[in-house]
Amino acid sequence: MSIKQSLGYRNLIQEKTRFALSMSGITLAVMLILLLNSLLAGLYEQFGSYLRHTPGSVVVSQAGINNFIGATSTLSSSTVDAISETEGVSSAIPILSQFIILELHDKKQPAYLIGYDPSIGGGPWQLAAGREALTGNEVVFDRTLANRHQIKVNDTFNILGQQFTVVGLSDETASWMTSYVFMPKSTMESLLGLTGDSSFVLVTAKAGVTPQKLIENLNAVFGTQATPEDTVIANDLNLFARFFSAPLQLMVGIAFLIGTLIVGLIIYTATAEHQQEYGVLKAVGTHNALLYKTVAIQSLIVASLGSLAGVALTFGVARLIMSIRPQFLIRIEPTPMVEAMLAGMVMALLGAFFSIRMVTRLAPAEVFRK
Amino acid sequence: MTNFALQVNGITKRYGSGTTEVAAISDISLTVAQGEIVLIMGPSGSGKTTLLLMVGALLKPTEGSIWLDGLDLTSLNERALPDIRLRQLGFIFQDFKLLSALTVLDNVAIVAELAGMTTKAARRKAADLLTELGLGERLTFLPEKLSGGEKQRVAVARALINEPRIILADEPTANLDSKIGLQIMRLLRHIAKEQGRSLIIVSHDQRIKDIADRVLWLEDGRFKDMVTMVTDPVCGMALERDKATSAVWDGQAFYFCSEGCRHEFLDNPARFQTHQDVISSPSAIHQEHSLD
Repeated sequence: MSIKQSLGYRNLIQEKTRFALSMSGITLAVMLILLLNSLLAGLYEQFGSYLRHTPGSVVVSQAGINNFIGATSTLSSSTVDAISETEGVSSAIPILSQFIILELHDKKQPAYLIGYDPSIGGGPWQLAAGREALTGNEVVFDRTLANRHQIKVNDTFNILGQQFTVVGLSDETASWMTSYVFMPKSTMESLLGLTGDSSFVLVTAKAGVTPQKLIENLNAVFGTQATPEDTVIANDLNLFARFFSAPLQLMVGIAFLIGTLIVGLIIYTATAEHQQEYGVLKAVGTHNALLYKTVAIQSLIVASLGSLAGVALTFGVARLIMSIRPQFLIRIEPTPMVEAMLAGMVMALLGAFFSIRMVTRLAPAEVFRK
Repeated sequence: MTNFALQVNGITKRYGSGTTEVAAISDISLTVAQGEIVLIMGPSGSGKTTLLLMVGALLKPTEGSIWLDGLDLTSLNERALPDIRLRQLGFIFQDFKLLSALTVLDNVAIVAELAGMTTKAARRKAADLLTELGLGERLTFLPEKLSGGEKQRVAVARALINEPRIILADEPTANLDSKIGLQIMRLLRHIAKEQGRSLIIVSHDQRIKDIADRVLWLEDGRFKDMVTMVTDPVCGMALERDKATSAVWDGQAFYFCSEGCRHEFLDNPARFQTHQDVISSPSAIHQEHSLD
């Protein structure tokens, strides 16, 4: 590397504390950006978790309903029968779903209750302990939620005034908003005072039947609406995740701004301290372009190292958060990782802007006057 | 034009306009011969630095022209000036102004590199130059580890690395003690005389008169008087010609610091150099100064 190219780097490492501080600024900002985006990605995954893991490519609901989580949909038993008998349907799994508030150790805990027929499906797809809820007042509890409240297999607790026994603990059913609780559909019907009704039917197409054709056929059943599973998941995300997305994105923006300000301030201070030296370089005949490059290199070194450290730190912090609060799923994916690093670079370049302006405006003649 | 390293023709520098207009430099002319050392002195605010800036292609005069090596600096656009400064001018600053993050070697080599030399060649040339200036053992030091005299020698090396025709020095001894200041003055004189580089020094330091070929007094933006310097052939001391005692031998006038030197010379003139070192051509240059 030539001397003139290394000048930025040497200026930077000359003051090690400042270098460490500016790098920490970028590291923390990148970590925060990536962590928040990964939290959002985890949230998205949790929202679609049930439908993605249960059989069926089409969700049939009451007409006018095209959401799953939190939506109130009622399908009579005759409608469910009609859906099952529709041409092109291979299997139809009726389920009941309901938001409930549990009282666990004197704390209110929202949960999403799913009533399913163990002989057909629609229940937990992965058990960490115990077995499925088969009859009577048996439930399968989300393992994460159970751990948080020290609930074990064979424990009993109250749901809507009735005593239930935990017979199994399910995996991949946690959410920091609502975890899943599974029980037999017949039990849930009597708990909610419903007889034979369902909320949704999860439909799988016969081989050779296109999803479009299946939906056309299902929509012919009176009072129903058939929607592709992916669309329902997307609708849920649009409805719920947007609530969280806005504040999280706002925090991402704030992290970006703070990171930019930290780097900007530190690089500006460093440039101001070396102002005389830049003036000397200008006086002896250095063109502005080289000086811009010198300042920009300082920023980019800080950004590159800070971004890499930020990504590494995110993995550590994510692991820590998930071990302390397992209901938070932090999904670090390659695209947000690259985006966070790019954000670090942009922070550095924006941070260098005022320093470059200072160098541009520097009159070499001033070196003789100071 | 090319007989002179530098020719300044009637330059004026005015700041402001209308009733607030101030002339920092008024109608100054100056010619500097190759290898000549010109010392510009004067009170603070007299325009010394402004003059140095204009000669150094760092500030454009309001009027007049500055010719450097056959090139009119005042007619060049701003983008062309950095290259002129890089290759034709060397700068020595009052408080050294070395780059604190670079080693002694790289402080000098970077200027050669900027002028287009490869890093390796620039470092080699800088190392040779610094060794010549007695800094061979300090090449890898950062400036903060050097004494004031060493720093100024690095600054001198930096000014010399691209072999400029003219070196401009702003108070080169201001931050040095008298012994080191004297060393630096001798070094500058050696450079001017041995390498044929012209040297323009702006300073308040009276001691620099000893090495100068000409001393110009700048006041209120104009040259007020001129002093021609001569060297005593007996003791080698630089003298203001008009204040020295003199003797004529073999049809030539000689100037001495004291009667003692004069008598010693007259006892046996052949022992001494028979041609006294009167550097400038006072009459020619005198005519070109704008005197009040």
